[in-house]
Amino acid sequence: MAHATTQDTTVETIEFSTFYVGGALCGINILHIQEINKNADITQVPQAAEYVKGILNLRGRIVTIIDLGAKLGLEPVAETKDNRNIIVNSEDEHIGLLVDAISDVVPASRDAIEPSPSNIGSIKGRFFTGVLKTEKQLIGILDIDEVLKE
Amino acid sequence: MFEDDETLQMYIEESLEHLSDIESDLLTIEEAGKNIDLDLVNNVFRAAHSIKGGAGFMGLTTIKELAHHLENVLGLIRNQELTPDSNRISVLLKGFDELETLLNNIQTSNEADISHHIQALEKSTHSSVPEDSSVPEEKQEMVDIVLSDGRKFQQISMHEITRSTAEGKNLFLVEYDLINDIHRKGKNPIDVLRSLQKTGTIIDARTDCDCAGTLDQNSAPVRIPLQVLFASIIEYDMAETLFDISDRYIHAVTDEMLVLSDAARPGAHLAAMPAGEAAVPREQTAAPAPGETNAPESVSFVKSPAPENIPAAAASTAAEQPSATKTGKSENEIQLGQKPQSSLRVNVGLLDTLMNLAGELVLGRNQLLQGVNSANTKATELSSQRIDMITSELQEAIMRTRMQPIANILNKFSRVVRDMSHQLGKSIELQIIGKEVELDKTILEAINDPLTHLVRNSVDHGIETPMEREQMGKDATGTITLKAFHDAGQVNLIISDDGRGLVPEKIAKAAIGKGLVTDQQVEEMSEKAKMELIFLPGFSTAREVTDVSGRGVGMDVVVTNIQSLGGIIELDSTPGQGTDIQIKLPLTLAIIPSQITSVGKERYALPQVNLKELLRIPAAQVKDKIEKVGDAAVVRLRGELLPLLNLSQMLGIEKTFVDSETGEEHNDRRKSLADRRSKKLLPAEDPAGSAPVEEHEERSGKDRRYRASSAMNIAVVSAGAFKYGLVVDQLHDSEEIVVKPVGRHLKKCTAYAGATIMGDGKVALILDISNLAQMAELATVSEVGQMALTAEDETETNRDRAALLTFKNSDTGHFAAPLNLVERIERIKTADIERIGDRKVVQYRGGSLPLYELSQVADVDSLPEKEQQEVVVFKVKNQELGLMVTPPVETMEVVLNVDETTLKQPAISGSMVINGHTTLLVDIFEMVKILNPDWFAREALAAADMAENGEKILLFAEDSAFFRNQVKKYMEEDGFKIIEAEDGLIAWELLKERVDEIDLVVTDLEMPNMDGFELTRRIKNDPQFSHLKVIALTSLASEAHIEKGNSVGIDEYEIKLDREKLMTVIRRHLHLSR
Repeated sequence: MAHATTQDTTVETIEFSTFYVGGALCGINILHIQEINKNADITQVPQAAEYVKGILNLRGRIVTIIDLGAKLGLEPVAETKDNRNIIVNSEDEHIGLLVDAISDVVPASRDAIEPSPSNIGSIKGRFFTGVLKTEKQLIGILDIDEVLKE
Repeated sequence: MFEDDETLQMYIEESLEHLSDIESDLLTIEEAGKNIDLDLVNNVFRAAHSIKGGAGFMGLTTIKELAHHLENVLGLIRNQELTPDSNRISVLLKGFDELETLLNNIQTSNEADISHHIQALEKSTHSSVPEDSSVPEEKQEMVDIVLSDGRKFQQISMHEITRSTAEGKNLFLVEYDLINDIHRKGKNPIDVLRSLQKTGTIIDARTDCDCAGTLDQNSAPVRIPLQVLFASIIEYDMAETLFDISDRYIHAVTDEMLVLSDAARPGAHLAAMPAGEAAVPREQTAAPAPGETNAPESVSFVKSPAPENIPAAAASTAAEQPSATKTGKSENEIQLGQKPQSSLRVNVGLLDTLMNLAGELVLGRNQLLQGVNSANTKATELSSQRIDMITSELQEAIMRTRMQPIANILNKFSRVVRDMSHQLGKSIELQIIGKEVELDKTILEAINDPLTHLVRNSVDHGIETPMEREQMGKDATGTITLKAFHDAGQVNLIISDDGRGLVPEKIAKAAIGKGLVTDQQVEEMSEKAKMELIFLPGFSTAREVTDVSGRGVGMDVVVTNIQSLGGIIELDSTPGQGTDIQIKLPLTLAIIPSQITSVGKERYALPQVNLKELLRIPAAQVKDKIEKVGDAAVVRLRGELLPLLNLSQMLGIEKTFVDSETGEEHNDRRKSLADRRSKKLLPAEDPAGSAPVEEHEERSGKDRRYRASSAMNIAVVSAGAFKYGLVVDQLHDSEEIVVKPVGRHLKKCTAYAGATIMGDGKVALILDISNLAQMAELATVSEVGQMALTAEDETETNRDRAALLTFKNSDTGHFAAPLNLVERIERIKTADIERIGDRKVVQYRGGSLPLYELSQVADVDSLPEKEQQEVVVFKVKNQELGLMVTPPVETMEVVLNVDETTLKQPAISGSMVINGHTTLLVDIFEMVKILNPDWFAREALAAADMAENGEKILLFAEDSAFFRNQVKKYMEEDGFKIIEAEDGLIAWELLKERVDEIDLVVTDLEMPNMDGFELTRRIKNDPQFSHLKVIALTSLASEAHIEKGNSVGIDEYEIKLDREKLMTVIRRHLHLSR
């Protein structure tokens, strides 16, 4: 989170916070992210959709935690010590994305982002705005609003 | 012109406030008729006037005009030139309504068409129009202002001038010089005019463009006059400062200066007045200085007549132009503001309180920080207490800022009722009680519609026409009462009318006709259940859809609205007598008191409004208490079958229980609620009371099912037509919780009304009681089924139920005694029992309590020897005596179905089967009589006395043979003679035959054929019998019963089997000494 948008002056460079979910490496524009925390005190909500992990208290605000694995149609996120909630701001609401583990912040120029194929791994292509090729890996750039559509 | 949105907003709010008072005032004026209350009329007049004044200032022409006409009519009423009859008041009311609509749609107000209102208002003044009240005429009446030097300011509307002077304003004619006074001082004309308008009204403003000359003339203009006719409350001596020009150019306009315009010369040009001493001949005026680019703007601003050749027509319209200008401007200004934020008036005192509290909070925080930093536990504790206190106070104070008196919405119903009753030809009086009750603003706004619907219903369907009412022997004028009051942290609203009431059969028939319920279901319903059918969606009793009410949307919408506020609605009606509708609302929506419960690992908050009571069924009784009706589990609660919903099943939560020895959690393997055993009902409101029982059970039982954790916790809840028991794992404290909205992904989970944050920072969900019921399909159909169950159950309650105390004598013999004779239950040490002769006593509270056991009087086993002894203490003839028994000692309510023959013996009045055990009913009086015959010596004496001095004969109506025999026995032992009747009807027949013999009537209340209420009513209404006193016997006297009894004339209430009191009362009424 400390990686602020130092290179924001050049509009072409975007920083992506990357994380693992269901074995895939995905990224979100860091500007969409409110914070990343490790709050295990989640209240379960019986009867909610299966991808809803529960709700938690984020400084007096009720935040819905979405199991990103389940939401993307992968395996639900298994409970490990590396689990993190990525709190994003979507449609004026704070929503938490539960991921397996977080990874680096990757800066990339806008040009480096290629259009997404119809699917990445087994995730539907519509959830992505594009892919970013790095030396080692492919990073799927998530379209938060699309992912968080009910 | 108004500077900002805030001013406009303030004006709107103020005006609306005026309007809300106007309505009730007008209605009062109407009522008073010719006896005009001048103060009241003045109030309304002033209100209309301030609305008009403000509107003029704001440039809201339509509002101004309408207000003006309203004011005119009111003025005539004030001068007693018009009588405020119903028609005129109606026109006025409608006018004020329109005014309100205009104020609420301020942006479009100037385009609104108000001509029909104006016409109606003018028509209503027609009978006695004074000459000057006709507006069009006024407009045409023009005057010129002649200044001392002979110049004229022509064609001013006389009306505007008289109005300004009537308002106590002074008139000025100000001559600005566009060059010297405005341009050279760095101003522009618009600013000047605007600043003027802050202090008064510009009646007219003109520039003399002729003076400006033309470009081809060389000499610069010396002076370009801008003439403003200005009305203000400012005094003349202040004027110079205000206008910021030399007083030479400020002319105070006096009446003498006004001269009627020469109508023959309407074409006289406006610029007839030369520009003062510096008047520049037209030829001399040259091109304006560079800064004069402002001039065209100023021209367009005031829409001065075009320069050069002024058409004749322009002059005649001049008077209207300022207002036209204002119109244009106001539109622009308003568009900037768009939708104004709603605001609230807060008492300054309250604001001060808030400030103080905020200050204290800061101090508290400082203390807390200090305490924490220095690790001073004591200081931390103290400051946390302090902060706790401040927080509560702060919460309360902030809530108070949102509180508004309910009068704000109740008052408007006078109007609704008035208008509707006129329309329907009914005569209705509206009473409003409890106007001062305050409610949260949000709730207040939200109940407006449901309330309107209910009031309209009362007027339309409830109250009959005067003719119908007179035929029924009622007052021709119906009464509708709106009552608001606080009760138990809620606001109660009662809408009652004395109209025709609801006819259950008619409603049921309509419901069947609409296919909402089946014949069969209706047959099984109670009257109340039938009436509540009107809450079903798609129900509307009005045979025709009238203009007034019944638009296809019915009570179900009202119910839904009220429930969405967390409120409850209840219905009570007597055919021919009227209808009461009671609404209970929470005080506020944001913070609600709640019961915290838990299922599995999670906590759930249950709004206190929905909570009726808490039930804890000890493990041993679960099996007996919980019954199965079809698939549904029900619990019998005071004679009513209550459907049970298991929260964990509803929500699909793994049910767990905590092993009390290992502390581990296990999944609960029980499949259904009834998989436990035993009976008894202990209201769990008193956890302390139930706790010892559990401990006891835990100690004694090795069986897992006897553990305290398997006791069943039920929250009895209700929401609208639903009432059910919600089974939860645990019941915790009651807390005030703050409702927080949940995210969009959870919107589909209707089981929750929101979430809240608990003291430990975790989130708990708030349950939506009404939606839960719907989810469980307790909805309409099965709900009707439930009503059927209740109805079926009611037939059972009609039979005699009695509260009994059951106990054992030896390990096998089951006994029961009437609970009302029991003083208390004690546990004593066997060692403390003292024997005196063949008597046993125990020292107790400084006295000695005689102890007996059943084997002393009846042929039963004697008590087993134990270390401790349970003693049931009875009170007979004001003396206490203890009966030693063997536990468990329990209370229960049963239908008495007593076999009086098979097991009858001394001190045992009979037997009945309770919970599968043959139980003997102990006759405590007989027991005492056997043990202490001398206690009853006086009765024997009285009986003998009575035998000598003439017998007293009692008529006794009672359907239960058991009670009849029991009570008869007491009475006979006391020397009375009894005439028995098996029900009210037989009693009535007997009474008619033998009225001369009978001295007093004793009657049961619940009886077949004719109940005790009806019997009493007949007795009291027949002069032949009305002298007879009636004593009612009841097993359970409820407040409602007693009230109903009092209304039919029952003289006294007594509990069955309380022999002493009954006999005392009978004696008192027969004036017999003891």
